[in-house]
Amino acid sequence: MKRLDISRLDVSSLLRYDACVRCGECTITCPTGGEAQDVELVTPRGKILRLREFIRMQYGIKARLFGPKVIADNDLRELSERAYECTICGQCKAVCPVGLDTIAMWENMREFLVANGLGPLPAHEPLVKSIENYDNPWMQPRTQRSRWSKRLGKEVSVGDSVNEAHDVLYFVGCTAAYDPNIRAMAEKTARVLAHAAVDFGTLGNDEGCCGSTMMRTGLSESAKGLVLGNIEKFERASPSVIVTSCAGCYKTLKQDYPKYGKLPAPVVHIAELVGDLIDSGKVSPSARVDKTVSFHDPCHLGRHVGLYAAPRRILESIPGVRLVEMDRNRENARCCGAGGGVKTAFPKLADDISGMRVADAEQVGCEVLTTSCPFCYQSLKSAIASRRSGLEMVDLMELLWRSLQVPR
Amino acid sequence: MTIYEPSLILDGMSSSNGSAGRLSLYLILVLVISAFTLAILVLPYDTVYVQDRAYLDWFLAVMIVCFAVFVLGTVSNALVWMRGKGLVGTPESRLMRTVARALSVIFSRKIVRLTSVFLREALYITKLRELSMLRWFAHFMILGGFLLMFALDIFVTLSLDIFGWETMISEDGWAKLLVRDFAFEIAGLMMLVGLTMALTRKFVVRPKQHSTEGADAASLVFLFLIVVGGFVLEGMGMAGSISGHEGNELYSFVGYAFSLVMPGSAGDYYDQAWLVHAVMSALLIAFIPFSKLFHMLVTPVVIQLEMLLGQEGGAL
Repeated sequence: MKRLDISRLDVSSLLRYDACVRCGECTITCPTGGEAQDVELVTPRGKILRLREFIRMQYGIKARLFGPKVIADNDLRELSERAYECTICGQCKAVCPVGLDTIAMWENMREFLVANGLGPLPAHEPLVKSIENYDNPWMQPRTQRSRWSKRLGKEVSVGDSVNEAHDVLYFVGCTAAYDPNIRAMAEKTARVLAHAAVDFGTLGNDEGCCGSTMMRTGLSESAKGLVLGNIEKFERASPSVIVTSCAGCYKTLKQDYPKYGKLPAPVVHIAELVGDLIDSGKVSPSARVDKTVSFHDPCHLGRHVGLYAAPRRILESIPGVRLVEMDRNRENARCCGAGGGVKTAFPKLADDISGMRVADAEQVGCEVLTTSCPFCYQSLKSAIASRRSGLEMVDLMELLWRSLQVPR
Repeated sequence: MTIYEPSLILDGMSSSNGSAGRLSLYLILVLVISAFTLAILVLPYDTVYVQDRAYLDWFLAVMIVCFAVFVLGTVSNALVWMRGKGLVGTPESRLMRTVARALSVIFSRKIVRLTSVFLREALYITKLRELSMLRWFAHFMILGGFLLMFALDIFVTLSLDIFGWETMISEDGWAKLLVRDFAFEIAGLMMLVGLTMALTRKFVVRPKQHSTEGADAASLVFLFLIVVGGFVLEGMGMAGSISGHEGNELYSFVGYAFSLVMPGSAGDYYDQAWLVHAVMSALLIAFIPFSKLFHMLVTPVVIQLEMLLGQEGGAL
């Protein structure tokens, strides 16, 4: 009988399975298991108890005394499917009375599922193949990666960090580079940096996928090549700081890359950098933007890394903006539903969750919903359209840019 | 060093170092269980309330077995953890290294910080207090009562059986009345209040997020029966004028309340009731590694671990 290979589970995660007190606090606010569909096995407690049961069946004291028990394939497949329904938003970490690092647990659980041939799901395969073949999840050729910068025309010059030395390396990320609906995010980021006279460049078509998709779906071994490749390019560019406008890339570069190798420069999110530029007077929003605005905290920016103040600092600096907080904000912000590969494998579930988030924004009467993550932007914009909501979805840099433009 | 360092991802193949680690671990377990057995067999138990020594012997036999089950169950769970990422050698040798490393952390300058985190997050449970005052209170009563009783048990055993402290032995000694009667009463009462609240929430209020897993409910009910059993036993002792229970109505006020509804003949069955209560307590200890109660041991460790990993980054 083939036993489950638990050698890919972290010792700390195995300990956490036993430390869970089963209080169920996580099941109330879990966006996928608790709020959208009420399925216990999708909730943190459900996954913990089921996997722990499987481990005990094959490695516990009874298994040591009487031999391991067979786990039915269907049961394993069920656990795997349900585990992939999690957006890894980390809401469970925020409410856990014990403070279990559930984000680390779910990512590690997926690594374990992959090692046992149970993951990722078939729906993720095209995404993975695209990254392997094209270095991006959008099945677009590498030569198109820097196409977004054509929008800048001759007004803004984007430096070539592959061949020249630039102070700031702007890591654009696949989604902002390739998705025509989100290219404005990269464009406005570049305009804001140029406005502040920041010496910045990009890796152009040489930029590789950050590996976030691979890591979130449990393919951390496969992500190794991407990570090391990017680190090598960063070393050659040798910037003083690496800046990202994508929350997913930010979390990956900041938290995950150091596990593989040393980065040559600190990683900051564009909201942090621009916040500093505002404080130093290099960016001074002046044009009024008379709107009631609410900020959606992306999970990768907020609960994963703890960045809450910087985006709000920017919004508060824009004249005319009235910032209103949704009831669930900062560490209790509801997930948009797109993360962890859920949008790809379970689009209906992702749409249901993003619809709830749009309803949160409508409830506080804002006119503009803003965020700083391309995935959140995509899913919330789509939910706004399907609900025929009157909300306007705007990226944070785009909103700031409106205030930086001198009226003609 | 990265988490993908090949030397850390070796299969758990046996090596000479692994065999030695395995042997050392099992030797230590045998020593721990033997030391415990020896300790409880040599104690005189002169002041124990039970009248017939045979009942005490039965309890001691059960207790030794239960303690061994507890130790083996706990170690078995720990060996599962050790099979995780980065295993080199056997899980047993890794456990030995981990325990040694943990001890070196405990006996370092980090002890102040560790103690502070332990008191704040593991005992006081700040985060639960923020979530629900009522649940925090119930948990605090159960945990506080349990720990108080555990500490009292050790203190009283040492006072009576090792040092023969007269004021703890004598019927009207202040230590006997304040510690053996009143302090134990308070500890039991704390647990009774907490458990009643927890059971009411579980079976009457039944909030949506509450798990209905049978084993979890069994742990709670079992603990409740032990606590109530303790007060019933005390009531039987007072109603039947069993030696050690006389004249302490004021200090053992809960037990006294129970005694009021009991006939004097209840004392005739005191030894049998004592054995049931004592064996149940021993069984509870054996049950810990296989039940929800195991979180008593693991959760404080994980709270410390999260703090250390949060400081250093990465995973074990």
